[in-house]
Amino acid sequence: MKTTIKTFLAATALTGMAATSLAAADVDYGTFDGYNLRVKLIGGAQYEPLYARISEWEEMTGATVDVLSRKNHFELDREIKQDIAAGTLDWCVGSNHTSFAPQYGSIYIDLNGVIDEGTLAEFQPLALQNSTVDGRLVQLPRHSDISNLYYIKSMFEDADNQAGFKAEYGYDLTPPETWNQVKDQAMYFADAPTFYGTQFVGKDEAITGRFYEMLVANGGALFDDGWNPTFNSAAGVEALNWFKDLYEAKAVPAGSLNYLWDDTGLGFASGTVALNLDWAGWASFFNDPENSKIAGDVGLVRAPKGSAGIRTGWSGSHTFSITATCDNTEAAASFVTFLTSHDSQMVEASSGLLPTRAKVWGDAKAQFAADGNDFLVTVFETYAVSMEEDAFTPPLITPWIEVSNEIWPRLQAAILGEMTAQEALDEAADAARLVMEDAGYL
Amino acid sequence: MANKRPPFWQREKYTPYLLLLPAILAILFVVLFPLLFSLYTSFTGYRLIRPETLWQWVGLRNYQRIFSNGDFWSAFGRTILFLTIALNLELLLGLGIALLINKITWGQRTLRTIMMFPMMFSPILVGYQFKFVFNDNIGILNNALQALGLSDGAIPWLVDKYLANFAIIFAEVWMSTSVFAILLLAGLFAMPRDPLEAAKVDGCNPWQVFRHITLPFLMPFVFIAMTIRSLDVARAYDIVDVMTGGGPAGRTELLWTMIARVGYDNARMGQANAMAYVSIFLSIAFTYYFFTKLLAARKYMGGAE
Repeated sequence: MKTTIKTFLAATALTGMAATSLAAADVDYGTFDGYNLRVKLIGGAQYEPLYARISEWEEMTGATVDVLSRKNHFELDREIKQDIAAGTLDWCVGSNHTSFAPQYGSIYIDLNGVIDEGTLAEFQPLALQNSTVDGRLVQLPRHSDISNLYYIKSMFEDADNQAGFKAEYGYDLTPPETWNQVKDQAMYFADAPTFYGTQFVGKDEAITGRFYEMLVANGGALFDDGWNPTFNSAAGVEALNWFKDLYEAKAVPAGSLNYLWDDTGLGFASGTVALNLDWAGWASFFNDPENSKIAGDVGLVRAPKGSAGIRTGWSGSHTFSITATCDNTEAAASFVTFLTSHDSQMVEASSGLLPTRAKVWGDAKAQFAADGNDFLVTVFETYAVSMEEDAFTPPLITPWIEVSNEIWPRLQAAILGEMTAQEALDEAADAARLVMEDAGYL
Repeated sequence: MANKRPPFWQREKYTPYLLLLPAILAILFVVLFPLLFSLYTSFTGYRLIRPETLWQWVGLRNYQRIFSNGDFWSAFGRTILFLTIALNLELLLGLGIALLINKITWGQRTLRTIMMFPMMFSPILVGYQFKFVFNDNIGILNNALQALGLSDGAIPWLVDKYLANFAIIFAEVWMSTSVFAILLLAGLFAMPRDPLEAAKVDGCNPWQVFRHITLPFLMPFVFIAMTIRSLDVARAYDIVDVMTGGGPAGRTELLWTMIARVGYDNARMGQANAMAYVSIFLSIAFTYYFFTKLLAARKYMGGAE
């Protein structure tokens, strides 16, 4: 019987592989003999495995790829702005992001009509919609981002913790369903400086984004329909006080306000934090015994709800764009199609990055199940629901980063107790109004 | 027959100018034009992502905005404080190191080489190094303090108003003290022995020798070092950017981090250049001050006026 199952599994796997290679061969990526495609890509551990496939595209098409830069997004953004200013957009393909794209104006072409319609139909409609600026599809989504809540399972299963929490807060200790529960639990678990209840990224667009999703979850909005800043509402104050209260209670590390994604990811993996809202890309890392002290003890629930009953779901996509100055749009289109193909997305999905092609979700999950990786199956199931039901992007407006730069220092000031949440948000709203006026929105 | 005058470029009185012409042209293109260009852009609404805005003349609007901005003045004051504390600390420590190394008779060259190590690191690496050292949770400093029983909490080195500024000054001093040490050591090497020996014969104690002979002799070197450092201290931008990014809540914001954010992240290059001009004048003021001090010190020593 065992042999039969094994044979059956092997046969299924072989069929799967054959189907995959058929799919790859089905797509004609064209021939661009001797052409040198110049590209600027986002670099970093999570993004590199995909680039190992570039040589395959070179072999198929006869073209060569010259990677001019491979930097993190903030540095790449500066470089692209310099290129715009200096008129040196002499490259074809650039990594892009839904949060960054609106500020680049018309340097990138509309991919409708450039990328095959059949190919576009295979992407998730929401991912394409979020990649559209002023009716133009300026980027092809590579993978998506949304955060869900990771927690250390054993801490919730511990009988003493359960009894102690119930005695103190009057309800059962279970993985949280609301952000108020997260606050209670984080305060209960915290034992600074050796252990913290939760943590948050504390600077740059990172904390603006976290504040923004909490604002929405509490029923607020950044702007009204006329683009007047409205985040200094009661919902905004409530959102900001959530961060402030946790900070003052020492339930988060004192250095949080200086943290970015790596700090929170590594912090959770070090086993010193009970609850951690984070991206799917960290899932494999958290559960890898070589990198993480909590491997095998990681639980995951959908991002909790704010006071308005809405779940947080700040989302965006990493994407590829083609410049308007590109001398071979066809080759560039072939290249970005290849890097976002079914096979490419399967490569990225294997490390937990969320696909933008509908079919890859199912195929990747089947692959994880076949590999016996139940954790990644749970991860994909959880993230699939949140991508479908909870995801929302920041406003896709040109001055988004600029508005964000007005908001986050004030959030920090309030969290540090230099001003009240209301004062901080009022000041940020005034500054944001000025930015919106300058940008012609008001 | 009267001698025909040679063409003007061969006339003797123009020769110096002709010889200087390549240098003048180089300075013109590399320094003056970019400076004038950025001065011009500081009067425009130039945004990096909209090249056409280069021609949008806004007069003094950028300057009015920054001068009426409290955050700008805070960063301005903090930059002066940062410059003053960092440069003086570097001087004192550099002087101490130079005097100590000058006393060594064996292994001096090796020590001089070791002393230069911090200068060899790029400021970005120095920033990352100290970001890790001062990290509140996993940083070695807090862990060491806790292990030694000197602290039972996580000291927020990069968050607290005073500690964060201390941390960035510490990193800057660590990186640049050797510049002072090397220049002052060169001064000590060049120092004539006679006055020192004469002073000893006259019965001066070591402090008197240092105060009345060594120090006045070193002062021109001190001011040369100060002038050089006040010009290149803006390299500390990388350190601050990596360690704190000017935050939290602007607590470690210096003019340079503010200029970079406004110019690149917000793409408001016109406004950033207005700030940069204020920063340039600040540098010039420091340099001018040290230069006049240098001339005074040389005059005192009987050198060139």
